[in-house]
This record gives sequence, C-alpha cells and structure tokens, in this order.
Amino acid sequence: MAELGRAALIVTFGLSVYALVGGAAAAALGRRRLALSARNALIASFFSTLVAALVLVAGFLRDDFSLAYVAGHSSRALPFAYKLSAFWGGQEGSLLLWLLVLTGYAALAVWFARKRARDLVVWVTPVLAGIAVGFGWLLVAVSSPFDTIPTPADGNGLNPSLQNPYMVAHPVLLYLGYVGLAVPFAFAMGALLSGRTDERWIVTTRRWTIVAWTALGVGQLLGAHWAYQEVGWGGYYAWDPVENAALMPWLAATAYLHSVMIQEKRGMLRVWNVTLVSLAFCLSLFGTFLTRSGVVSSIHSFTQSAIGPWFLGFIVVAVVFSVTMIWLRLPQLRTTARLESLVSREATFLYNNLLLVALCLTILWGTAWPIVSEAVRGEAVVVGRPYFDFFLRIFGLPLLLLMGIGPLVAWRRASLRGLTRIFAWPAAVALATGVALIAVGAGSSVPGLIAYTFSAFVLATIVVEFARGTAARRALTGESVPTAFSRLVGRNRRRYGGYVVHASVVLLAIGVVGSSAYDSVVEGKLARGQSLSVGGYTLTYRNLTEKDAANATEIRAVLGVRRGGDSLGTIQAGKNAYSVEQQVSNEVGIRSDKLTGEDLFVIAEQVNDDGTVFFRIFVKPLINLIWLAGIVFVLGSVITLWPDAREERRLATRYATAGERRERSATT
Amino acid sequence: MARSSSPARLVVALSVAAVLAVFLLYTSLAGGGTPSVSPSELATKTGEVSLAGRVVGTPTGDAHGGGLRFVLEDIQGKDKQRVAVVYKGSVPDLFRVGRDVVVTGTQRADGTFVTKPGSMITKCPSKYQAAKT
Repeated sequence: MAELGRAALIVTFGLSVYALVGGAAAAALGRRRLALSARNALIASFFSTLVAALVLVAGFLRDDFSLAYVAGHSSRALPFAYKLSAFWGGQEGSLLLWLLVLTGYAALAVWFARKRARDLVVWVTPVLAGIAVGFGWLLVAVSSPFDTIPTPADGNGLNPSLQNPYMVAHPVLLYLGYVGLAVPFAFAMGALLSGRTDERWIVTTRRWTIVAWTALGVGQLLGAHWAYQEVGWGGYYAWDPVENAALMPWLAATAYLHSVMIQEKRGMLRVWNVTLVSLAFCLSLFGTFLTRSGVVSSIHSFTQSAIGPWFLGFIVVAVVFSVTMIWLRLPQLRTTARLESLVSREATFLYNNLLLVALCLTILWGTAWPIVSEAVRGEAVVVGRPYFDFFLRIFGLPLLLLMGIGPLVAWRRASLRGLTRIFAWPAAVALATGVALIAVGAGSSVPGLIAYTFSAFVLATIVVEFARGTAARRALTGESVPTAFSRLVGRNRRRYGGYVVHASVVLLAIGVVGSSAYDSVVEGKLARGQSLSVGGYTLTYRNLTEKDAANATEIRAVLGVRRGGDSLGTIQAGKNAYSVEQQVSNEVGIRSDKLTGEDLFVIAEQVNDDGTVFFRIFVKPLINLIWLAGIVFVLGSVITLWPDAREERRLATRYATAGERRERSATT
Repeated sequence: MARSSSPARLVVALSVAAVLAVFLLYTSLAGGGTPSVSPSELATKTGEVSLAGRVVGTPTGDAHGGGLRFVLEDIQGKDKQRVAVVYKGSVPDLFRVGRDVVVTGTQRADGTFVTKPGSMITKCPSKYQAAKT
C-alpha cells in the first residue's frame, strides 16, 4: 500500500512539473494545444493526489502500523472519526492535505474559468502548478507520509487534545482558507504575466476569494471554540503564533475584499490590489511555515527541521516572484482615476485598508519578533499579550467605527448635508447607548465602553440601511414589507450580504469585549460542602465521580450552582486520563445562559488524593455572541455568494465587450 | 509635481507616519518584550525572562499550595545545563516529564528560578513538530 501512495505522489509531482513547464512554454509561445494539455495535467494531478490521500486514509482505517505516520498518530482503540482526522494530526499528513486542497481548488478554478477567462487560464495554470510542485517536492523527497517501519503492536495514539469533533473540522476549514487564497493569487499573477491587467481576474475569482475567506474565518472561530471548551484555560485566543498565522492572511484578505470594490467601481487601487492578494497568499504560506517548521520555538530547531529551509526558500520564491511581476507591470497598472475627496466612499475604504494592513503587519511583527531578534541580537525576545491587545485596540476600534461609516458615504465626494442626514439617527443611538452603559457601570473599562458605543452605531447604520432600502422599494412597487425586504436583499446580494457580515463582526466585537473587559474570576481549594461565589453565582462542591470510558478514565467533580435564591442544577468539571497516550486533559464545565449569552466556566485545576479540588471559576458575560457571530458570518457570506443570474449576464456582456475592445485596439 | 498633490498619497504617507508614531509610543511605554532564554543562558541574565526548557526528573509539590518543583534542562546542545524551578498557578494539561515548556520569572540568588503565577506555556506537540533525529 505504501508503494501505491508513494507512486501516486510521484505522479502528482510529475504532472505538476509538466503543467508548470509545459504551461509556461505554451503561454509564452502561444501554443493552444500545449496549454490545454498542461491544464488537463493540472486537473489530473488532483486525482493522483486523491489516490495518495485515500491510501493514507485506508492505512488509518486498517490500523496499518507499518506506516510510520499511522503508527505515530493512531492506535487500535482510537474511535473511527478520530482515525479519519488523525490524517492531519501531524506534519506529513497536513502537507498532503494542503496539496490535496490545492490541486482540488486548482482543478475547479481553471475548469470553471476555461470559457470566460481563457487567455488568463493559460497563465494561471503554470502559477498554480508551480505551487503544487513546491508541495509535491516536500511530500515526495523531504517529508513523506508513506515511510515504513517494522510494524509495532499498536500505535502511539492521537494527542488527546485533538480527539475532539472540533479538531475534525477546524484544520480542514483552515486549509480550505489558506490554500484557497492561492486561487486569487494565481489569477492575479496570471493577469500580470499575460498583461491583461483589467479587473477581470478579480471578478473571475471573487467567489473563490470569498469561499476561502469564509472558510478561514469560520475555521478560526471553530479553533477558538475548541480552545475555549477543550484546552480549558478560560480563554479562546492567546495570540499564539499558530493562531496569528491564520489571522494574518484573513486580515489581508479582508482588506483585499474591500479594496477590489474600489477597483471594480472606479478603476483605482490596481497596484494595491495585486499587492494585497500577494501579501495574503505569502502570509498563508508563512502561516504554514510557522506551524510546521518549529521556527517559533527557536531558530535552532528550525535549522534542524527537515522542511523548514525548503519552506523558507519557497516563501522567498513566492515573494520575489510577486514583487518582480508587480514591478514589471507597473506601467500597465497605472490608473487615471484620482481620489477626489478625503470624505468619500473610496477614501473610507482606503482608511479601512490601511488599518487592516497596519493591524496585520503589527501582528506579523510581534509574531516574527522572537525570530528576528534571535537572528540579529542572538537573543530571542518574546512580546506578549499586552503588545497584541494594545494594537488590536488602537487599530480595531477605528475599524469598527469605519464599518458603520464606509458603506454609507457617497462615492467620489460626500456633502456635509448628506452626511448629517445619513448619520443623525445612528449617532443618536450610539450616544444614547454610551450614556446608558455608563449608567449601568460599564465605564469600568474605557476601551470596552468605546467598543460598545461604536457597535451600537454600526448596528444602527445597518438597521437604517435595511429599513431605508425596504421603504424605497415599497414606495416604488407597492409590495408588502416581507416581499420588498426579501427582493431588496435578493437583488443586491453583495451589498446586503456584506451588511450581514458586518453585523456578525459587531456581534464578535461585543462578545470579545464582554468576555475580556467585563469578566470576573475566583479560585480556591474546596473540600466537600465548601463553596465559592463569583459574579452572582454560588458554587458548592458536592462530590467526585470516576468512570471508565473507551480510551480514558473520566474524573469529574460535581458542583451545585445557585444564583440569587434559585438553584440552577449542577455543573461538572474534571479531568480525563488517556491510557494509551499517557496524558491527562482538563475537561471544563460550562453553563451557558441562553437569554443573556453569559457563561459560567469551571476548571477543576487539580484533584488531590484527599478528595479536595482546586477550582478556578470564571463568569464571562456575552461570550456566546462570539459563536453566534460565526453563524451570522456564514449566513452573510452565503448571501453574497449565492449565484445571481442577472449579475452573471451583466458581467458576461461586460467582458465580451471588453474583449472586443482589446482585440480592436490590438489590431489598430 | 502635480502627482504629489494627490490626496491618496497624502493619506498613505500620514497613515504610515501615524503607525510609526503609535509603534514608538508603545515600545517606549511598554518596553520591548521579555527575553527568551534556555537554562544555560540563564546565568548571564538578570530581571524577568522567559525560560524555555525540557522537563526532567520527577515534579514534586503542589502548584496550588507551596509550589510545584521541577527541573528544566536545555532542549538543545551537548553540555546540557539544568535549572530548578518553583511554579505556582495553573498547570497546562500537556505538562509532564519530557515535554518542552516555557515559564516566565526571575532567578533567585540560590539559583532557583521562581516563576510568575500562571505563566507556564507548553508547546502544542501537533503544531510545533520537533525535529526528527
């Protein structure tokens, strides 16, 4: 079986080398049949990668411990679903998943764009193939998932913190996001290589970008939820390098999704857009590098890791290639349109972009600082949570405010009268919210107060937008409110889907601020019958239970919960001891209040032999809005993604005429 | 120079300046972070540092009582140095003998490294894959 897997990977590598070399030659020399053949080779490389992936899956399901990777990440007792997810439990499998997702995206993207953007696809094929060559090489020559060992009796098992439904979905979503950014990158490079630098590459890849961006966003939220429920330290995001690795490309892609609107509408920011999409892709490579090379713990471990130097070389190639291409095409990317006013839609989008990129780069700086300082000064210096929190506030709060202002300001030049008319209500709502919050004591955290005032403002602008649009439609057509509302959204999916996404970001902000700026915590060692009080709750430690599950021993402390005079039942917190993996994991107890979105969060930090338990108990207000934000985020993305026949027809005509114009100008 | 009057360029230039100003403000107020050292480098440092090392020997004591006592050893190098550590606060699940952990604190005159409560971080073994030797 291992031979089949290895062979399939070699076939993938060969096909992608052919698609790279043949595709580039075909594009440069204008050979149509060779270009088609290269494209088909790229599509075929997906199927050979799929074979390799299926061989590895079969290895896990058959407990084939002759495969070193299977032996290292699975065991006979491991439940079925985790045998599947153990696929991406380590480095080699993760790289294989990367390649599988990449070739899958590549095959679909070039297939769907084959008619409308034929001249682009010719150049997109070698770019995508080049990325596949890089990962194919790593899998074939450096870090193979199909290395064999003398078969041990049982495997080492899967890390218990990965034995969890979230860890089945979270890595896949992240990779769908990371790798998906390769599609807009390849089309941007295709546009630059072919010299067709109009906005067609943006329009062709809009849906791919949004799919990747949504997957990356949801993947991170799932990761945060996993950290919250399973890692059990009481938080959900720790500014850990591997977490930042996913956040940075997401921020760059967010900036890109906004700035392309300016290019589509006004033809501006063309250099900026290709720069952003290259930044997003290079950051996703850098993210994979961070999580896979060991460079974070130390430069020294990086030079010892097999894939680290290869990966670094790969990133350098990607950066040099994109910078060179942008540099060479600068003359074609020049724009005639100018920013007319500092108070206009274009200008606010520009501010939004600058803030997002500033946030992204300061996170990059903080993440890379230990590496940079170790290389330069010989001493790794770590910046901690305060650094990141500081910049999140400095750049995040103005971003939140802009989210309310940007979509409503007029294009080109906004008038003062127009601004007052639009923003009078939202500003009033925001002020009223601020005053009310001070009255109930939210002034204890100034950033929290500012964030909530801005959140109220943004939500008010969104509500006003929906109400105004519906009213205008009713006045025009005489439809009922629900009909007018649904048609309004249906006919402007990008705009109103975007508002829904904005609403989800506000929910996220409210949840993050509530749970971090207004939380409370208490800790202490309790014997049976003793209690602790925090945030209006009183918890009494009742007893300890122990039971044997399939692959772990579960110890739980049972606590009775009271609030005011009412009993709210019991909550359990404890530890699981995994036998095969010889590891203990914290199992926290969480009680969510569905009405207020508040969580009571109990950690049994230490269970002593005499039956006493050291507890740490948090009350986290509004934290459930973070998870609700994830659902709203997906809803908004789906609205913007939903196919729109009218839009398709409009674009088809637009590009047909654009193509004719180009051909005419080429012949004259 | 008609181009230099473009508001877009002005905005970009001002923003870059603003970001730099904010950055300088931050680094001057909060300092440049905590040095990260290995046990063998510890002797040359004073003040607060992040100590990264591999747990060896048998941890004793109570992290929520008198303190958890364990020994950290250099992860790399031939001549591996060791440091005794006293730790209080939450102990991550992944803490055990043979794992790499990071604690923040200061070294006392008697050579014991005393940590800030709750400062222990373990490296997630699935993500930070160690080099295969």
